[in-house]
Formats: sequence, structure tokens, C-alpha cells
Amino acid sequence: MFTKTKVAVLTAISLTQFTGFAHAETVLNVATAGSQNMVDYVKTYLAPKFEAMHPDVKINVVGTGPGDAGSHKILEKLSAQNDSNQEQWDIDVAVVHQKIGAQMVNKGLLSKYRADISTATLVTRESAKNALGTNVEGYVMPMFHSQTAIAYNSALVKNPPKSYDELVTWTQKNPKAFGYNGIKNGMSGVSFVTGWIYAYGSNAKTLTSEAYNPATKDSWNQAFTDLKAFNKNITFTPGNAGTLDMLNRGEIFMGPVWVDMFYSWKDQGKIPPTMKLSLIAPGMPGQPMYYVLPEKAAQAELAREFIALATSPEVQAEGIVKRFNWYPGIDAQNVQSKLDKASWQKLFAEITPQDLAAYGKSFPIAQYFDDIKEGYERKVSN
Amino acid sequence: MHSKASLNLWLIAPAALMVAIFFLYPLAFSLYSAVSLDDGSLTFVHLVKAFELYSNDMLFTVIIVLSSVVILAILSITIAALITLSPFRSIVTIMSFLYRLPLFIPFIVTAQMMRTFLAKNGLMNNAFVASGLMTPMDTISFLGFSGIIITFVWKQLAFSTLLLTGAMAALDDSQIRAARNLGASRLSILWQIILPQVAPTLAVAMVLSTVTMMSVLSVPLMIGTGTPTMISADMAFRVNSYGDYSVANALGLVSYLICAGLAWFYLRQSLKDKGGIA
Repeated sequence: MFTKTKVAVLTAISLTQFTGFAHAETVLNVATAGSQNMVDYVKTYLAPKFEAMHPDVKINVVGTGPGDAGSHKILEKLSAQNDSNQEQWDIDVAVVHQKIGAQMVNKGLLSKYRADISTATLVTRESAKNALGTNVEGYVMPMFHSQTAIAYNSALVKNPPKSYDELVTWTQKNPKAFGYNGIKNGMSGVSFVTGWIYAYGSNAKTLTSEAYNPATKDSWNQAFTDLKAFNKNITFTPGNAGTLDMLNRGEIFMGPVWVDMFYSWKDQGKIPPTMKLSLIAPGMPGQPMYYVLPEKAAQAELAREFIALATSPEVQAEGIVKRFNWYPGIDAQNVQSKLDKASWQKLFAEITPQDLAAYGKSFPIAQYFDDIKEGYERKVSN
Repeated sequence: MHSKASLNLWLIAPAALMVAIFFLYPLAFSLYSAVSLDDGSLTFVHLVKAFELYSNDMLFTVIIVLSSVVILAILSITIAALITLSPFRSIVTIMSFLYRLPLFIPFIVTAQMMRTFLAKNGLMNNAFVASGLMTPMDTISFLGFSGIIITFVWKQLAFSTLLLTGAMAALDDSQIRAARNLGASRLSILWQIILPQVAPTLAVAMVLSTVTMMSVLSVPLMIGTGTPTMISADMAFRVNSYGDYSVANALGLVSYLICAGLAWFYLRQSLKDKGGIA
């Protein structure tokens, strides 16, 4: 008697389990490169929003690690699935860096989806069409725009440098008070070095938009020699977070940082409120993160809806700008109307939209970028 | 007899297959990539580039690893000898618990710990300043090569001390007692009786530590500052930043060569211990 009941109960339970599974949701796989805050953004903000709109969809978020390396992992995975002729690939939406986004387009791994989503017209900026010399128009939607700038402690530095020239003079007067992380420990250092080449090597316009000329790098010798001399007056830090840590502990007073990381740390009280930002002339690079859709994504339709939601003015205002302190991926004027004045001003208080327009550069095209890094390895750190 | 030999071969086949697929094949592949161009022709350009750009880093790696190993040897001999020879048993109990702790902490956690501990205004210097031993102006940062050495030594100390203490405990106690009866001091017992007998174990511990240090990426990335840096960080940089596996593999080849000499020593030693060769 009891046995029978038990069997019946167990059967019932297992059946509900099965129906549960049979009913179970379509899974949308979202892979995101970048630091933990990007994974958090997709996992804690975007995914619940999308799941609320599509109750039968479950979003599986995978973080692949910071920097180009994280994006490179996504590229390698898609590339492997492409080489083995798989019918369906197991990444539906990927968030990747600019350089790798361009490589994916070149390898034919991405779908040209932008015209099919409703938010396509909200982006007009150059970086949505051109990624380091590669035409990516139609293949990418910018998630947000990230910028590097010089952070300084305003309690100790009253007149922050406004240009690379002034920075050089400042470090001569204040040896070891400026710190950056070289080029091997994170992109904020790479960005600082790129800005140095824009200032003393070739101007940003040549390196970001003109055709590659292998002879250009030969004119940078003096710039690298000066950088080597400059490096004697500064402190090296261990990484992007390392620079912020050292600023926080008062070991350095100034250093290049990612603006979004800076604001997040400031919000969390990990750096003092006296820390401020300055974007120096002739400019430092920044880059967008792209939403891309792999060519053979299993859930292409859902993926397009996901990206449309993520690039809608409401989400860009509330999620990207207000919660995570990033510059919006779609054009700023489309976001401004959805935002309260205070949040808008907070983002643009220290670096004004005018500064951003004048000094916010993009990274150079891939070959020049490699030339800069290798030139640094050969002539500055060797 | 013959069938027994072939049976034995079958027994080792799974293990041999695993080694072949997951070690020998990738090894051969990366060696090949280090000395070939995309079209398959052999070349030395990757190796030349590796030496041109990173010879300082290779030297730096060798210096860091060697200094770490020397400090490691001195410290682990000291601790193991204290545990074996000290008459104060309660101290020995505490010590044999303490020295094992780093064994259970991964490298990356150690690196993160050291990063806040060793910084200019980090925990260590702040403690000195608070206790009045130093003024804030005297503090210096240990982030950089000295920090890397400190982290390696701290982390590997547990492992090598564990091996050494084990080897010392396995020695015949009567030798030590006999030496003591004849009036030998503890130090001379250590030098003349114990150390010669545990030398092979010490060597093995150092070889294994060296190979571990050569392969760790998190420590030079998190504690090292700028340049020079260790080969492992350069390899990661070549791959992540340029997508350039060839030069990374050429650097790997250099690492292999440094480790291969040590591996040869280790294999010879462990075969000898098992009576494989006389």
C-alpha cells in the first residue's frame, strides 16, 4: 500500500520534472569579454529585463575575461565551430572589443544584422562603421564607449596638466608622482603610450583613418627616445586596477585610467572623492564595445531582439549611463532625453562633451597599433 | 615470456596515449610553430625576434628564479632542520602547522595578497609606520622584482619544506643519536649527517619549484611592474596583444630549454631512487 503510494508520488514528481524540462526555456547564450563589471551588467541588469519580456527564455551569460584576450577567446571558439562546419554555433550574442570585432568581420564570422533591428538608426558615430581601419558597418552595434583619461588627486594637484607637454614638465618637477602600467599589464597604459605617439609621432588622423604605410613608424624614433627619458621620472604600476590602487593609497598622484572604471570605483568608495579626471591634448584613445551576432547563431531572432533592447535609449540611459557610468554606445542626444539632469552632469562634469569631441580619439588601425606596441618594446623597454 | 612483455605494453598504453595526445602532440606543435612560417618553411625569424626583444626578460627570469631557489633552499633547510632537531617540541608543533599553510593557497590569491601587503603604502609598511619603526617618507615599494621573489619563496616554501621534513624524518634516528653521543653540535649534525643524505630530495624540491615558477603567469602580471618582466608575461602579451603565437612559442622554446636541463636531472634522480639505473 505504502509502496504503491510512494511509487505514485515519485512518478508524479519525476513527471513534473520532465514536463518542466520539456517546457523548458529556450536558452540564449550571451558571451561577453571585458572585466567583471561587464559580466555583471549583462547578468544582473540586462538578462533579467529580457527574461521578464520573454518568460520562456533563459539567458546564459558567459564572461570570457578582460581585454582583447577575452574577445580573442570568443573569436577562437567561433572560428573553430566555423572550421568544423557546424550547423549551429553555441554563442547567440557576443560582446567584443573593437579590434577583435574587426577581425571577426574579416573572417566572415558575423551576421550583418543591424538593418534588421529597430535601434539601427540611433547610431551615427564613426566607430560604429569603422573599426581600426576595417569597415564594420551593419555588423556591429556599440554597447558603450570607453575612454581613457588622466586621473589626478585634486587635493594635491591644483593645476592638472592640460596636454602631454605640460604632463612632461609636471613629471620633471614631481618625479615618481605620475604612474602608468607600461604596455603589458593592461590597456590604460597602452592607451597612454598611443596618446604619446599621437602627440610626438604621427597625428591621430593619420594613424586612425589613413591607409597603412610601413615607413611611418620610422619617424617615431625621437618620440620613443623621449618616452624612455620620461619613464625615468615616473612609477610603474601593476595593471589598470593597480594604477587606481596606487592613486588610492597615495603612492602616486596622477595616472591614466579608464573613465568607466574610475567612476565605478569612485561610486563604491574605493578611491577618494578628491580624485578627478582630465583628458589631455592632443588626445587619448578610447574604444567601443560591440554587440555582435555570430553568422550561425542558433537563436538569431531572439539575439536581434536582445541587442535591440540593449541599445534602446531607455536601457542605454538607465543601465549604461546611470548605473554603470559608461558613455552611451548610441548617439548621446538620443539618450539625454531619457536621463535626469544630475546623472547626465555627473558623467560629463570633469570631461565636458566638448573635450570628449576634441580629445577623445580612437585607437590606430591594427598595423599601426602593432607598430606602436612593438616600437615600445624595442626602443623604450629594451 | 614474450606474451607477458606485450601484455605489459598494453598496460601502459592508456597512459602513454594520454601523454602523447595531451603533451607530446601540443609540444611538437608549438615547437614547430616556433621555427616555421605560415607556409610551412623553416625559419629562425621568430627566435631572432624573441631574443631581440626579450633577451633582457630571459635574463631577468633566470635571475629571479635562481635567487628565489637559493632563498627557498636556505629557508626550507632551516625550517626542516628546526623541526627535526629542535628540543622544544611545542614550538615544533606550531611550526609544522604554520609552514604548511601556503600549500593550500593558489598562486593568484597569493599574488593579490602580496600586492596589497608589499605596496609602498601597503599593509607591511603601514604596520612599520604605525609601530614607529619607520616614517612614511622612508617606505619603499616592494612591487617589482623583489616582490615577485618574495611571493615565489612564500608560496613554494611549504612544498619544499614538506619534502625536506619528510626526508629528514625518514633518516635513521640512531645516526643522529650516535653523533650527539660523540659530542657533535646540532649544526654539525645538520651539515655532516643530515644534509648529505637529504641532498637528492632537496635537489628534486628545487627543480620542481623552478619549473613551477617558470610557468606562473599571475605573479609577474600582478606584482611585476612594467619591464623587465618574466618570460611567461611576455608570452601572454604576444598572444593577447598581437595574436602572434609564433614568437610566443619561440619564447616557450627558450623556457623549455631552461627547464629541460632540470627535467633531465630530475628524471635521472628519480630513476636512481627506484633502482632503475645504478
